[in-house]
Amino acid sequence: MVELKNISFRYGSEERQDYGENSLSGIDLIIHDGEFVLLTGPSGCGKTTILRLINGLIPHFYSGSVDGEVLIEGKAVSSQELYDTALKVGTVFQNPRSQFYNVDTTGELAFGCENRGLPEEQIYKRIDDTVTRFSIEKLMDRSIFHLSDGEKQKIACASVDVSGPDIILLDEPSANLDYEATLALRELILEWRRQGKTIIAAEHRIAYLWDLIDRAVIMRNGRIICELRGDETNTLTQNVLAEMGLRSTIQESPSSISLPLFLEGDEPLTLKGFRLTYSGAKEPVVNISDLTLAAGEIMAITGANGAGKTSLLSCICGLEKRCKGALVFKEKTYSRKNRQKLCFMVMQDTGNQLFTESVLEEVLISLPKNTENEKDRAEEILRALDLEPFLERHPQSLSGGQKQRLAIACALASGRRVLLLDEPTSGLDYAHMMETANLLKQLQCMGTTILVVTHDSELIHACCTRQYDLEYLNCQH
Amino acid sequence: MAYSSEKTQEQRRGFLDPRTKLALVLILALLVMGGLGGNSLKPIKTALSALPFLLLLIEQQWKRFARGIAMLVIGYGLLFAMPYLPGTLNYIALLCGGILTRFVVTIVMGEYLISTTSVSEFISAMERLHMPQAITIPMSVMFRLFPTIGSEWRSIRRAMTMRGIHLGGARAGQVLEYQLVPMMTSTVRIGEELSASALTRGLGAPVRRTNICRIGFRVQDAVLLMGCLFVIAVWILELCGVNLW
Repeated sequence: MVELKNISFRYGSEERQDYGENSLSGIDLIIHDGEFVLLTGPSGCGKTTILRLINGLIPHFYSGSVDGEVLIEGKAVSSQELYDTALKVGTVFQNPRSQFYNVDTTGELAFGCENRGLPEEQIYKRIDDTVTRFSIEKLMDRSIFHLSDGEKQKIACASVDVSGPDIILLDEPSANLDYEATLALRELILEWRRQGKTIIAAEHRIAYLWDLIDRAVIMRNGRIICELRGDETNTLTQNVLAEMGLRSTIQESPSSISLPLFLEGDEPLTLKGFRLTYSGAKEPVVNISDLTLAAGEIMAITGANGAGKTSLLSCICGLEKRCKGALVFKEKTYSRKNRQKLCFMVMQDTGNQLFTESVLEEVLISLPKNTENEKDRAEEILRALDLEPFLERHPQSLSGGQKQRLAIACALASGRRVLLLDEPTSGLDYAHMMETANLLKQLQCMGTTILVVTHDSELIHACCTRQYDLEYLNCQH
Repeated sequence: MAYSSEKTQEQRRGFLDPRTKLALVLILALLVMGGLGGNSLKPIKTALSALPFLLLLIEQQWKRFARGIAMLVIGYGLLFAMPYLPGTLNYIALLCGGILTRFVVTIVMGEYLISTTSVSEFISAMERLHMPQAITIPMSVMFRLFPTIGSEWRSIRRAMTMRGIHLGGARAGQVLEYQLVPMMTSTVRIGEELSASALTRGLGAPVRRTNICRIGFRVQDAVLLMGCLFVIAVWILELCGVNLW
């Protein structure tokens, strides 16, 4: 049993007596053995903080001021060492790139058991057992750098399973996963349900586990605003969910939406001879002989992980040297180098494409040389994207959504007419997803052509006007 | 057939024990890169320089092998061409050639160590050397971070190309600074998330860790370690002024 008794928490440093705002206020929550509880609510509502209190990372790793206590089987988490808590609680984290301590998958599965000094024969047995139950034979003995995000998340779940804790915490495990990988994650959770594990999940994307849960705890601003039993979850309409800042509970494959690819009267933007094969691979990951897209629209690019969506964007952007091919737009042919000046890509990891020390400077370096009144022009663009209050802020200190806006501001400043986005709404709550959707519509009105790679059906419904489904078209050939 | 982790671990066992690899990196760093030891060590140094390439071939790391050889060829090519070059070019060729011929071998050995040793093998080896956890754990995190830093670096470079910031373009002078800003934030973030994840999985418990990987000295380790001892012995004798040949 996990008990949170009147918990309030603020992040910050004890020594400097310097605390932020309350992340949690007066949380009372009891989770029984074998229960599956979903914590959900808009970004910053405190759901991840609750998980950190249960696995002991607060207060042992992230410092702050805690009032109240967290008990696991009657013992206070704050007064026991992290390695003792680790025997009872396992955590799957959000970012598949930064939760593996080992570089090979088998070593990763063994890691938890090795740390507690179990005999080797027992570890082998546990690994083999997990591998069979999770059907991940194909993923064993591989380098984690060669796995897709979906596969990495499977390994993360499996390594928790090998350690065999009774309580499993999931911290937005689906944030980087596509539709199929999310369904696979659901299967693993079902397996834990069968074994009677206690599961506590913090999630924005609730559709894939909405019908599995015993209880939903809906939070906002560090408080619990509503609790629903599993059999009451159907009573919420989609509108009420949206009001509470929640995503849809309807699981819908983005490929099944099928918007048109090109309509009569659309201005054509043609891709010719785009082919890319990674070294060592037999099949090309991108293979387009002649494809006409609609310029001036918001086009969703859909298809499962590994279908080559992100690679296609890099090719269009001119970032792949080995990919030849030409883009024809307004009767002008763009070679690879020229495409670098036509297209702008907002990458999944937006932080990696912001280089300077202030928001204003970031836009200034994007403006073409010899622009008149550089500063006014930059401020004008930032104003249009609601970034004016942050002019002097360090780009790396902005939130994920703000970084995305800033990257788009740079695209506008550099005068690029084709904007490519790679999964812009993964891990965003309802309100932020709608903000991105509205921004894309605003850009469309300004005449920008937008290609967005996404697995987010809600985003497609909210703003996309055309769709290109990679798998569907590949099957046609 | 059902999956057996025990069997595959046995099959995956590396050619050398990580401790042997560490010893070789140290010896190469001191003698070849550091340039310690005088004339009588020359033939030994040449033999040592061939070692990392031989090891890469044994482990079938063709790409790393080819890259290392190419760098060496360029280095010696520059030194060879140096006397025929005019003024400043002469200097540049000497400098680049000197750096390449000195550093490449040791770097190739280090690459071999990192690419063929798993984190768990590394921890296991450090424990057998009776290193305290306070040294082993941070070192193993670094071990894990190297490839990650590499992939972040590449991703940032791509982003810069896309933003139109590159050497020869506008603001060429700031390229390095621009590269470092996101690099530092992302490395710090990844390091923090890695530590958090490792701690929730019991790293640092005061028990004797076990390791499923197979390490241990075999014939090839014995031969190479004897070789290292021999090299050190010759070096000490030379320092004492004994002329061996």
